[in-house]
Amino acid sequence: MTTNVPAVDTHVAEPTSGRKNFLNCSSGFMSWAGTLDHKRIGLMYLVGVSIAFLCGGLFALLVRLHLWSPEGALFANADYNQIFTLHGAFMVFLFVIPAIPGSLGNMVLPLMLGAKDVALPRLNLLSFYLWCSGAVMATLAIILGGFDTGWTFYAPYSIYTDKAVVSIGLGIFLLGFSSIFTGLNFIVTVHKLRAPGLTWFRMPLFVWALYATSILQVLATPVLGITVLLVAFERLYNIGIFDPRLGGDPVLFEHFFWFYSHPAVYIMVLPAFGIVSELVSVHSRKPLFGYKLIAFSSLAIAIISFLVWGHHMFTSGQSTYAMFAFSFLTFFVAIPTAIKEFSWVATIWKGSIALNSPMLYTLAFLIIFAIGGLTGVILGALNVDIHLHDTYFVVAHFHYVMMGSIALAFFAGLHHWWPKMFGVMYNETLAKIACGIIFIGFNTTFLPQFIMGSRGMPRRYATYVPEYAPYHHASTIGAVILGLGIALMVYYLVASLFSGKRAMQNQWGGVTLDWHTPTPPPLENFDHSPSVTTEVYDYSVLDLETTRTPAS
Amino acid sequence: MFVNLFQDPVNAAQGVAESVPQNPHAPAQTIDAWGQLPKLASTFGDVDGLFYFTYAVCIFFFVLIFAALLYSVIKWHRKTYDQPAASNVTHNTPLEVVWTVIPLIIVMVMFAWGFKGSLDMTNVPHGARQYKATAKQWNWTFSYPNDPVQSYGELWLEVGKPASFLLESTDVLHAFYMPSMRVKRDVVPGRYQKVWFQPIEKGEYHLFCAEYCGDDHSKMYAKVHVVDAVEYAKRPWDQWDDNNPAKGGESRYKALCSSCHSLDGTPLTGPSWKGLFVKDASGAIVGGQRDVFVGGVKETITVDDAYIIESIKNPEAKKAAGHEKNAMTAFPNLPDREIHGIIEFMKTLAGK
Repeated sequence: MTTNVPAVDTHVAEPTSGRKNFLNCSSGFMSWAGTLDHKRIGLMYLVGVSIAFLCGGLFALLVRLHLWSPEGALFANADYNQIFTLHGAFMVFLFVIPAIPGSLGNMVLPLMLGAKDVALPRLNLLSFYLWCSGAVMATLAIILGGFDTGWTFYAPYSIYTDKAVVSIGLGIFLLGFSSIFTGLNFIVTVHKLRAPGLTWFRMPLFVWALYATSILQVLATPVLGITVLLVAFERLYNIGIFDPRLGGDPVLFEHFFWFYSHPAVYIMVLPAFGIVSELVSVHSRKPLFGYKLIAFSSLAIAIISFLVWGHHMFTSGQSTYAMFAFSFLTFFVAIPTAIKEFSWVATIWKGSIALNSPMLYTLAFLIIFAIGGLTGVILGALNVDIHLHDTYFVVAHFHYVMMGSIALAFFAGLHHWWPKMFGVMYNETLAKIACGIIFIGFNTTFLPQFIMGSRGMPRRYATYVPEYAPYHHASTIGAVILGLGIALMVYYLVASLFSGKRAMQNQWGGVTLDWHTPTPPPLENFDHSPSVTTEVYDYSVLDLETTRTPAS
Repeated sequence: MFVNLFQDPVNAAQGVAESVPQNPHAPAQTIDAWGQLPKLASTFGDVDGLFYFTYAVCIFFFVLIFAALLYSVIKWHRKTYDQPAASNVTHNTPLEVVWTVIPLIIVMVMFAWGFKGSLDMTNVPHGARQYKATAKQWNWTFSYPNDPVQSYGELWLEVGKPASFLLESTDVLHAFYMPSMRVKRDVVPGRYQKVWFQPIEKGEYHLFCAEYCGDDHSKMYAKVHVVDAVEYAKRPWDQWDDNNPAKGGESRYKALCSSCHSLDGTPLTGPSWKGLFVKDASGAIVGGQRDVFVGGVKETITVDDAYIIESIKNPEAKKAAGHEKNAMTAFPNLPDREIHGIIEFMKTLAGK
């Protein structure tokens, strides 16, 4: 919206007037590597998860290009299996789980609470280094021969295969602790460091979402840690937990794995919900519709998500009673999710809708998440799931949630807080174009996968029956478009750091505490300790001049 | 058993070329009227009913959400930088109750319908025929009720007769998946699983492995023939023709060997069969030369029947150079006549 651009000062940022912010208050390698500042740690996370995302994306492109031909266009089957495993493992463990809490959460949570930092800054830095060691172990696993188990590491294949499963398992163990420590830190921070007057129901919904996520991280992740350790012990010492040849039970592995990995789905998606809740309100300049219901639905999702893991195992031969309970609860979790989507739409309804790039990414999220969520309902039905389980229908469904929803919400949040973090604006025109390309590319990639999936195309296939070829062709073309869109996004974001226009003090007109501090924030966030006297998302107190005042 | 040992392999090769299709895959599935599912070939029509009901509900809600967003963006997009929202409503209890309760009712209907459908899939009817499917990396073996003859990579069922399968895995997880029948069941090593369905339409159908099981997971395929009672009574799985062992050998190749061994020289997991047997100057078929590792020592051998038999029953004894790190599944119990058939088939490749 050109009318939203203030008349004054659209020049490239001049040298700042000497005000120190967290970016320029100190310099040198150790000022970053040893920093305890949550914003710097958040930025380092941002760099890390972005690299992981680009690697994972590259693997995805290789997968799609290989599947151009029914016989497999690029690799031997065994190599293809390694590449899809790398794609899954990098995306899930190194990107989707840590991306939003680690980067944007770290950056924004203390600002939103009016705090100087997270409650346990040293633990925060340790989380980041654990993430780094996990990333190193994952890379090491590639060098040591790769791994070909799928990101799910199902036994007994993960025990018999001769690849570097132990190395990646230890990597995931370390990443798990990184995640647990971040969750612990956020819980303590939310309980102890809220500014005066910031009651629980005045907290922005991004904070609520991160709080619910943190509970899941702390309670669920240890089970994953135990499970990968057991797989490693099984491989090293033949202890016979999962290996049927030694009296173990492979289905037990599935239970352990999904006991973590289903809540993990919500560890991934709840922060995305939080970002979207935040952005629909700010960019519609309207209080969030059904604030309390959204806050409680986050907690409801967090609790119910512990009780639905069995829906990943409807074909595994579990008892009829287990099927009954897991299917029932799975449908139940659809309700709080539906409430969120409806509430977001109702927030936009009769709003003052700014069609800037963060909002476009948010709208793309709302459309894609509607598809991702609704197709999840199809998969909840017991007998239908038996047909669709382990087909491309499931692949399409979870990519609509993981990539289309979570990654898009991450991009939306990145565009939203970018001017806050760096005090510069990226090229808005390019941002809108990239958002359009990503939206088109994404849907071209994954819509055809629903059709070939319900027609029976199994997942994790290096080759396939020729009748599915047209859908694979469409999907591969979509993936290339998607890749170009993301390349464009990376380009203009990085370019803005060198030649971006100076951002406004309050670029989008937000009223939460993160917009009440100078842009970019000083080292300890606030020049004066803030206190809160108004309800959350009350735009009647918005000082519109701050949206037209350049950042200092 | 070896009565046809001296049969002219050239004639055998011609017989193979005429009768066995080169592509082992079943013909492309017929798709149903709505274009989303393979045409139903079993009695599990509840799956289709619930699938399309849920699909319709999804499309309804998607259109509702999309239309509301589109209308909002067109009507209330910000025209001046200071434009306030057209409304500051923060909640509407009746509306929130409605959009909680209606979806709740709808999903409970889906739940009950789906659960009922899954019970039908669990309860095997009396009198169902008992088959057994054995899964191993990366092929399927089928046993028939009261019949000593097994089939590999192909299965025959009688139309209209409920078929129940005992599922067994000898190595890792697999899954028995027939899209046209709407059935899927994980095959778990260390325990028996069961799956049943009643085919109602004659034809050829895909049987996929749907649980990732290693290198050639995607090639773990079987073709399922649903035939009428007359055809079924001929026991088409017992196709062995002692007058044409190469033909039987080729079908075993496709079922058991083709995922790792090519015929045209392409190196797959295992060595190609091209050049195992060659033609000498007079046109006679003789063993070719192979580099193998015996106990870690590389030597060159001349291929003969004994080498092939040993490689099938005890593949670790002599490892083909270039593939010495890949383990092959041993087939110690493959009947002699079938091993012989495979050797005859190998000989038909000489000179190609």
